[in-house]
Amino acid sequence: MNYAVLIVPDFALHALRRSEPALVGKPVALVAGEGRRAALTEVSPEATGVTPGLTATMAMARCPGIILRTRDPAAEVEAQRILLAAAFTLSPRVEATAAGICTIDLQGADADQTEAAMRLRVIELNQMGIPARAGAGATPLLARYAARSAESVLLVHDHWKFLQSLPLAVAEPTPGQRVILEGWGLKTLGALTALTKADVGQRLGAEGVALWERAAGEATRVLRLVEPVRTFAAAWEYATSIDTLEPLTFKLQRFAERLAFELRGAGLVAESLTLTLKLEDESAYRREFRLPEPGSDVASWMRVLISHLETVRLASHLIGAQLMATPVRPAQKQAGLFETGLRDPAAFWENLARVGALIGDDRVGTPVRVDTHRPDAFTLVRPADTVPASKESSVHAARGLVLRRFRPAWPVQVTLVDEQPTALAGGLIGSIRQVNGPWRADGEWWRPEAWMSETWQVELEDAVVYQLARSDKGWCIEGVFD
Amino acid sequence: MPYVELHARSAFSFLRGGSLPESLALEAGRLQLPALALCDRDGVYGAVRLHMAAKEGGFRALVGCELTMEDGAVVPLLVATQAGYRRLGGLLTTANLRTPKGEGRVTWRELAESNEGLIALTGDGEGPVRRVWRAQGAHAAAEAGEKLRKVFGPDRLFVELQRHYVPGEEDENEFLIDWARAHGLPLLATNGVTYPTPEARNVADVFACLREHVTLDAAGRKLALNRERHLKAAPQMAALFTDLPEAVSNTERLAERLEFTLANLGYRFPDYGVPVGETQESFLRKMTYFGAQQRYGSVAGEVRRQLERELTLIGKLGFSGYFLIVWDLCAFARERGILVQGRGSAANSAVCYSLGITAVDPISSKLLFERFLSEGRTDWPDIDLDLPSMERREEVIQEVYRRYGRRGAAMTANVITFRGKSTMREVGKVLGIPDDVLDRFSSLFHGGDYPQTIQLAEQLKMAGVTADHPRLPALLDTCQRVYGLPRHLGQHSGGMVLCAGPLNDYVPLENARMPGRSVLQWDKSDCEDMGIVKVDLLGLGMMAVLQDTLEICSVRGQPVDLARIPKDDPATFKLIQEADTVGLFQIESRAQMSTLPRMKPETFYDLAIEVAIIRPGPIQGNAVNPYLARRAGREPVTYPDERAKPILERTLGVVLFQEQILRLAMELGGFTASEADELRRAIGFTRSQERLNRMKEKLAIALARNGVSPPAITSIQQSLASFALYGFPESHAISFALIAYASAWLKVHRPAAFYASLLNNQPMGFYSPASLVQDARRHGIKTLPVCVQVSERDCRVESDDTIRLGFSSVRGVRAANVSAMLETRKNLPFVSTADFLRRTDFSAAERRALAKAGALNELAQHRRAALWQVEDSESSGELFRLVAVEAPEPALSPLEMMTHLERLQADYETLGLTTGRHPMRLLRENLPGLWTAGSLKQARHGERVKIGGAVITRQRPGTAKGFCFITLEDETGHANAIVRPDLFEDSRLVINLEPALIIRGRVQNEQGTIHIMAEEIVAMPNAALPAQASHDFR
Repeated sequence: MNYAVLIVPDFALHALRRSEPALVGKPVALVAGEGRRAALTEVSPEATGVTPGLTATMAMARCPGIILRTRDPAAEVEAQRILLAAAFTLSPRVEATAAGICTIDLQGADADQTEAAMRLRVIELNQMGIPARAGAGATPLLARYAARSAESVLLVHDHWKFLQSLPLAVAEPTPGQRVILEGWGLKTLGALTALTKADVGQRLGAEGVALWERAAGEATRVLRLVEPVRTFAAAWEYATSIDTLEPLTFKLQRFAERLAFELRGAGLVAESLTLTLKLEDESAYRREFRLPEPGSDVASWMRVLISHLETVRLASHLIGAQLMATPVRPAQKQAGLFETGLRDPAAFWENLARVGALIGDDRVGTPVRVDTHRPDAFTLVRPADTVPASKESSVHAARGLVLRRFRPAWPVQVTLVDEQPTALAGGLIGSIRQVNGPWRADGEWWRPEAWMSETWQVELEDAVVYQLARSDKGWCIEGVFD
Repeated sequence: MPYVELHARSAFSFLRGGSLPESLALEAGRLQLPALALCDRDGVYGAVRLHMAAKEGGFRALVGCELTMEDGAVVPLLVATQAGYRRLGGLLTTANLRTPKGEGRVTWRELAESNEGLIALTGDGEGPVRRVWRAQGAHAAAEAGEKLRKVFGPDRLFVELQRHYVPGEEDENEFLIDWARAHGLPLLATNGVTYPTPEARNVADVFACLREHVTLDAAGRKLALNRERHLKAAPQMAALFTDLPEAVSNTERLAERLEFTLANLGYRFPDYGVPVGETQESFLRKMTYFGAQQRYGSVAGEVRRQLERELTLIGKLGFSGYFLIVWDLCAFARERGILVQGRGSAANSAVCYSLGITAVDPISSKLLFERFLSEGRTDWPDIDLDLPSMERREEVIQEVYRRYGRRGAAMTANVITFRGKSTMREVGKVLGIPDDVLDRFSSLFHGGDYPQTIQLAEQLKMAGVTADHPRLPALLDTCQRVYGLPRHLGQHSGGMVLCAGPLNDYVPLENARMPGRSVLQWDKSDCEDMGIVKVDLLGLGMMAVLQDTLEICSVRGQPVDLARIPKDDPATFKLIQEADTVGLFQIESRAQMSTLPRMKPETFYDLAIEVAIIRPGPIQGNAVNPYLARRAGREPVTYPDERAKPILERTLGVVLFQEQILRLAMELGGFTASEADELRRAIGFTRSQERLNRMKEKLAIALARNGVSPPAITSIQQSLASFALYGFPESHAISFALIAYASAWLKVHRPAAFYASLLNNQPMGFYSPASLVQDARRHGIKTLPVCVQVSERDCRVESDDTIRLGFSSVRGVRAANVSAMLETRKNLPFVSTADFLRRTDFSAAERRALAKAGALNELAQHRRAALWQVEDSESSGELFRLVAVEAPEPALSPLEMMTHLERLQADYETLGLTTGRHPMRLLRENLPGLWTAGSLKQARHGERVKIGGAVITRQRPGTAKGFCFITLEDETGHANAIVRPDLFEDSRLVINLEPALIIRGRVQNEQGTIHIMAEEIVAMPNAALPAQASHDFR
C-alpha cells in the first residue's frame, strides 16, 4: 500500500450542505451552465427521480420541491481544507489532487496503523458533514480507484481482479473516447483491457494507449505535494446581514471544527482565539480570548465564544466574521501578544479614511455624473490616482448662466396663471417678473421610483434668476444662476 | 390654425416607432388632424395600413419615408406626386437589392439624380443638418444643408423645427431658423412623432434598448429625455411655435402640395402575350373552350351557359390576362412534370376548371361562382396554386422571376410580429428580469403561442415573478403594448406579385434572406387592399409526396393516374372511417381522427365536409356536433328558414361553408353580388372586427326585412362570426379533399411507394418519421435499414411490401459525401469495410454514424464489428481510392454484438427512428398494468386505465377552452388523452418537457372514438423511451 486517497463524492453539494444546515435532508441539486442549458451536476439522494445531467426545468418537473443551487466556492474551500487536514494526519506528503480528492504518499508507513487511521479519519469527516471514502493501493491511480469504489475504506491487494469490474468512467476517458468506447459497448475497465493495447493504440492513438494503461492500473505519477497550513484562521461573509446569534454560532461551530482539525493534524493546539466581527456600518468588533487551557476541543472553544457573545450588544447588523487560533505546541507556552501596527504610508489615503470615518465613507469621493437624465444625479467614486487629461472642448461653446445648485433644494409654493408660474412663497418669496421654460424630463418608469420633473428659469423682481422645478414631490428652487 | 403632422414613425420603422399605423390614425382622428404623413425608416411598410385607417378616419394619409443615406444621415422625404412615389420606390429598391437585407443605403448621387416629385425635410437629430451641427458645428452644418438645398432647390426643401421641451434644443433651432432665412427656405414645424400618445413612450424606450442591446437600467442617456414625441393637436403645436406661426401654417400648405396618396397608386397587372390577331379576351375564350372540350367532352347546355357567364364577367372586369398568365404557369409546371392544382375559391370557376388550373368541376359540384368573382368586385380574384414543396416549387417561382424580371415580380412580405414568448423574452431582458426566470417562463409556456387559461400575471408568478415584484407592473404593461407590433419582415410562404413594368413603381422591393428571392414591403392584406394581384404558389408537402409516389409507381411499372382513380373505392373509405389516417393529407390530426369514426365518410363529398368541419370556424360556431348528430339520425334535420333548404340541404341544415353564408345573404337577405362580395371580404379580413360587425348588422337588417325570424337571424349571424375564424369555402374543401382522397388511395393501394415518399419529404404533417415507420409496419410494410451496398440518397421501394431507408435518414452525414460515395459505388461496388473506408470521403464522425446505424452490416459482421473497423487508422488512404482492393481484412472484431436494446438506442441516435419493433414493446414488461393503445377498444366506457408511451402530439387549441390533448404512441398504435385545464396547470412542466408519459384516467368511448380523460400524469420512469419528435401546440 504505497498510496492512499481520500475522496468525497458529490463534493460541491456536500460542501454546500455543510455550510447551510437548512439544506440537510432536503432534495437539493447543484446547477451549472447558463440559461436553458443549465443542467444538474450533483444531486442529493432526497431528490427522487432526478439525476445529474437533467435540465433545471426538467428537474423541477420531476421533483417539485427540489432546491436548485449553484456551487459555493467558499464552502468548497472550507471543506477542502478539512479534507487536507485529515490527509495530513496520515502522512506529511499530501497532494490536493482535485476538489474533494487528496492523494497521500504512504511509503514507509505502517500498513496496519495506516488502515486504522484511515477508518478513523473517514468517521471523523463524516461527523463533520463530509462523507468521505478512503482507498489505498500500489499507485496513486489504484488508490483513487479504490477510494471511488469503497463503501468506507478499501485497500486493493489484487489490482488486476479489482479493476475488472470497475466502470470505464473511473479511467476518465475524454468525451471523444467515451463516444467510441460506448459504441464498442465497453462498460468496464476489464472490457477495455481485454482488448490488446496495440489494437487500442491503432484505433485511438497515443491517448488511447494512455487510457488503456490507466484502465490496467499501470499508470503511475509523481505527486505534487502541498505544504501543511501554517496559519489557522477562517473568515466568512454573509450574503445578507444578520442580527441574531444562531447563524453566527452555526458558522463558528463549523469553522472551529475545521481549525481544531487542522491544529490536530499539525500536532498543535490553540492557545488563544481571536474573533473579529464585521458590522454592516463598516466597523468591526474584535476580541481575543485566551483559553484557560491550550487545546483543540471545539466544545470548550464554543463555550468561551458563546458565553461572551451572549453579552455583546452590537451597534449594527453583522455582515461577516473571522476566527483565528493562535497555535502552540501542546506542551509549551508562549507569552505575550504581538501587535499589528502597520500604517498606510500614503497620508492622503489615511486622511481620506479619517474623513470617511467622521462623516461616513459613502460621503467621500469624487462626484461623477450618473448616466441618466435624472436631474442632479451623481455618484461618488474613489478619487483617481492620476488626474485624467481634460476632454476635448465641445464644438459648441457653453452658453447662458451658470447654475449654482442648492443642496438640498428649497421647497416653495408657486402661484400658476395659465399653467405658468407667477409668484413664489415659502422658502423663497417674490413675484416672478419673467419666466422661461418649461423643460420636461421623466424616466425610470420601469421602477417604483419613477420620476418626472418640469424645470423653469424664473426671474424675480430683484433681477435674480432661479431654477424652479416641479416634481411629484412638489415645487422647489433648485438653484440660482450666477 | 390647422396643423398637419408631416413626420411620424410607426413600428414599421422596426424598433424605431412605438405603435401600429392604425394607432397613429386613431389618435390623429381624435385630434382632428386633417392629414398625417407616415415617414417610416427606409420603407413604406406601414403606408397601406395608414391609408386604410385614414379612409375610415376621414383624413388624408400622406406617404413619406426616412431615407438612410450612405453617410448615415437620415433624410425625411415626402411624396408629392405619383412620379415622386415611383422615384422613392426606385431609390429604395436599388439600395436594397444591391445589399443584404436591412443594409440598403442610398447614395447622394442617386438622390440627386432621382428626386422629382419628392419633397425633403432637413430632419431631426439624425438628419443631415442637425447631426452635423451637433458633431462639427454651425459651419459644417450649413455645408451639409447646402448639399440638400442643391438637390431639392428652395421650393422642395423645408427646414424642420421640433420642440420637445428639451434643454438646448433652441440652440439648434436658432441655427436652423437663421440658415433658413439666409437661404429663403420655408420653416416647417413637426413633432418627429414616434408614438401616438405619451403613454406609448415606454415602448419606444424598450425598442431603443433592443436596438442598442442594453437593458433599461444601463441605457442611461440613450433613452429619450421625456415623452413629448407624440401626436399633438393644432392648438398644442401653435402654442409651441407662437414665435414662428409660419412654421405651423406651412404644414397645411405643404400638405396641400402633397397630392399623392395611395388611392392613386396606378397599379396594372401585366397582359399576357397573346398571338397576333388575338385580344386577351378572345384568346382566353379560345383556350377555355379548348380545355372545356377535353374536360367535359361536349360544351353545351349548362356548361356553355356557365362558361359564357364567367367569360363575359371576366372580360368585363378586365381579368382575362390574369387568367391566361395563371393558365400559362400551370402549363409550364405540367410541361416540367410538376403536379399543380388550384385551390381556394378558384375552384368555383368553370373557366379555371377548363383551363386546367383547378381539378374540381364546379358545375357538377354545384359550387357558387360568386364566391370567386362577382359583378361588383373591384379587387382581383384569388387563384392559389398548390405545388410540390421544395425544389419543384422553387422551379416555378424562379420561372416567374425569369419571365418578369427581378423588378417585375416579388414575393409578398410576411410581417413577423412580437408574439407571447418573444415579447416576454425581449421585454423581460430589457427590464432586467433574470434569464433563469425568462427560461422558466419559456419552458412553462413551451411550444408556442397557444391560448392560455391563466392571466399573464399568473403565468409570470409561476415563472418566478411574484405579485410584489417591483417591475411587474412595467413588465405587464409593456408586454401588452409590444405584443403584436412588427418585429421584422419575412416573406410569405408563396404569394407572388406581378405587374406590368417595374414593380418598384408601386411598392419598394428588397432582398429576401433566401438567395434568389426578392420581397415586397407589403404583406398580402396590404396588396389586396391596394388591388395588387397576388398569385399564391404554395408548396404542399403532400403534393410532393403524391408526385414522388407517382414517379416511384411509374418506375416500378405500376403507374397511377390520379385523375382516374375510382372516387368510391371501398378499401379507401374503410381506412378513412377507421381513422387509420396517419400520413394522410388534412385528415391525420388527432381532432380529425377523433371525428372520422363518428362521421364515417362514405362519399367524396363526405370527405370534403370532413376536411372543412374540423376547423376553428365550424367548431366555434357549434356546427360540428349538430351535423354529426343529424348525420347519425340522432337529431332531426331542420333549417333556420324553409327558404334556406336548397342552400343547406347538402350539409343537413348546418352552415359549414362560406358559400352557404353568401347564398343565404343573397337569397334570404336580398344581397346583391357586390354586397355579397363585401360580406366575403369582411369575413376574410381578420384585422378588423368592426368591419365584420357592420356587415353582421347589415345582414341582420336585410334578413329581417325579408321576413327571416329573429332566431334564424341570430343563428346565421353566429355562423358568420365563426367563419371569420378560418372557415373553409366549399370549393377549397373539395380541392383539399381531392388531395386527401388521393393520399388515402395511395396508402391503401401503393403503400410502399407512399410511405417511402412520405419519409423522403420530411418534415411535414403531424407525425415524425419514427411514427410513420411504425405505421407502415402496422400496414405490412417492412422498413429495411440503411445499407452502404444498396441504399440510395433517399428511401426507395425494394418490393411491394418493403422499403429501404436512404442515407438522408442518417443524422450528421453530409449529402455531398453521400453523392460521392454513390458515384464511387456505381463504378465499383465495395468489397469490404476497408475498401469502403478507402474509397469514400466520410469523416470519422460520419463513418461512426453509418456503422452505428447498421449501414455497414453487409461488409462487417455486425454494427460493433463495423464500429471497430471504422476506427482502424490503417483503413483509409488515398492510394487505392479508384480500385477495389482485396486488402487483408482486419482480424475478427473482438467486440460483442449489440443487444436488442442497444440496437434500438443506436437507431434512435443515428436515425431518429427504428426499423425494428417499437421500443415500448421492450419496456412493457417492466411497466405492469399499462394498457396498449390497441387494447383500449376492449375497455368499458368509464373504466379506469393506465396508458404509456412516447408523446407524439401535445395540443391545446384555442377552441378547446384550456383542455389539452396528448397522443401517446406505443407498439400497437396511438392512444389519445384529454387533460383538464386544472390538471394541465398542475402538470404543465411534465407535459411540456417529458418525452414519454404514463397517464392514468377513465376511458371515454363515444361511437368508436376512444379517449382517456386524464386524472394523473407522470413521466415514464428512467427515461425509458428514446425521445421522439413531437408535434406540439401548432
